[in-house]
Amino acid sequence: MSEQATRSHPHLPGESGVWVFILGDMLMFAAFFIVFMFYRGEDVALYAKSQLTLNQHLGAVNTFLMLSSSWCVAVAIETARGGRPRGAQGWLLSAMACAVGFVVVKFFEYSEKIAAGFTLTSNDFFMYYYMLTGLHLMHVLLGLGVLTYLWFTLRAPSAASTLRTLESGASFWHMVDILWIVLFALLYLVR
Amino acid sequence: MNIRNELLCIWSAVLFVIIFTIGIWPLTHFLPPHLPTASAEEIAALYQDRTWQIRLGLFLMMGCSGLVCAFVAAITVAMKRMEQGAGPLTYTQLSAGSLGAVLLIIPCLVWTVAAFRPDRDPQLTLLLNDMGWIMLFMPFTTFVVQNIAIGLAILGDRNAAPVMPRWVGFLNLWVAVLFVPGGLLTFFKKGPFAWSGVFVYWVPLVVFLGWYLVMFAMLRKSALRAGAAV
Amino acid sequence: MPGILKLRVTWLWLFLIAATVASWEFGHGLGFGENIRLSTTAVIVIAFIKARMVILDFMEIRHAPPGLRLLLEAWTLVVATTLLALYWQSA
Repeated sequence: MSEQATRSHPHLPGESGVWVFILGDMLMFAAFFIVFMFYRGEDVALYAKSQLTLNQHLGAVNTFLMLSSSWCVAVAIETARGGRPRGAQGWLLSAMACAVGFVVVKFFEYSEKIAAGFTLTSNDFFMYYYMLTGLHLMHVLLGLGVLTYLWFTLRAPSAASTLRTLESGASFWHMVDILWIVLFALLYLVR
Repeated sequence: MNIRNELLCIWSAVLFVIIFTIGIWPLTHFLPPHLPTASAEEIAALYQDRTWQIRLGLFLMMGCSGLVCAFVAAITVAMKRMEQGAGPLTYTQLSAGSLGAVLLIIPCLVWTVAAFRPDRDPQLTLLLNDMGWIMLFMPFTTFVVQNIAIGLAILGDRNAAPVMPRWVGFLNLWVAVLFVPGGLLTFFKKGPFAWSGVFVYWVPLVVFLGWYLVMFAMLRKSALRAGAAV
Repeated sequence: MPGILKLRVTWLWLFLIAATVASWEFGHGLGFGENIRLSTTAVIVIAFIKARMVILDFMEIRHAPPGLRLLLEAWTLVVATTLLALYWQSA
């Protein structure tokens, strides 16, 4: 069992301010999800037909990459807590590799769709598909910047603030993961 | 530092919000927004039926937009405290914020042109109406850069007693992210990402108001504290 | 690296991968056979169980102050319920 399981008093992951951003973003995406589901209900046939053209395999691969990336960051935090910043840096690099993989897969997925003639304005389903995955992709790119920043903080001599910064960035990255988990279900799997 | 002048600039935000609201809501009826799907005749009729209200409303909206400059100046003064002297983020905010004021004034002028001769060819009124809406809601870039500059300055504040709490910094960064979808309104005539849509019109409007409120309260606090320290 | 096998998050990660495979299968219409609506319900429920696991153990909200945990639990519950309600209403 990790040390967190034995910790009894409450511990806020990261600094409190970062939760304004995370909760705000989660609220925004909650609105995206609900609006999507509402309009899907207005024209189920169109959404179902358009969804069939999506590549579920690429979507699933990206879910694996996102989950693994999130896991790598969680292990990086544990490793840093154990007083091994070099090890934590390694785990962060693995997380970044998964994130880059996610971006590359998305690039191929988009090109495949565009080559098949499906674009932002093809129909309502594709509007949501491109807008929601696109805004999520923007968060993945932001997250890559955050992970890089965390990697550099670990180079400096370790301080109490280092761990808190790590937790703040990690919480943001886990949020990006959570949003993708829901997006994958909504866009690729809901029938 | 003259705290009275600073407070004057901060309070100008309240005046701006009140006058702008009067202009956009009861006078022009631009709240709720026109639909991008409306026909030229429908849009022309709006300008013909409410000519003087629209002219007056736009006069007020344009007229109070200059106050944004005063508010931007108040933010600049607070940021100088954060950066301990005018740093690059302070200048970024100052220039991006000032450009933001221009991007409020120009759409009002374009709509004013539409209301100037409401009996002209409806297609031309439609063109001008489109121009106004797209000019007001598409250019997110200055707002995003301004908010990121404010956010980073707050988070980078190394003062023993920080000028603003760190959550305000993260709030500014969140607002920046929120304004990006509006930039894609050019692709849509209906749905939540069109200029009349929930994610381009309603959410940014509410968030913008909330942001004004938070920044107003925080700037006021910062000014009063700076005044007490002198 | 035997150390990571001792971490709770590692086992959760394996479980999350398994859950993804399961919901992928439901997405193909398997699991509940012809009943698409039950499959979709399962897909949505699994997605939010996964989201909650990430929230509680990856984000470490399990040990966060109760207020924050409450907000995030509410997010999961409210969004999931609304999506399910909208889905069942539509067909």
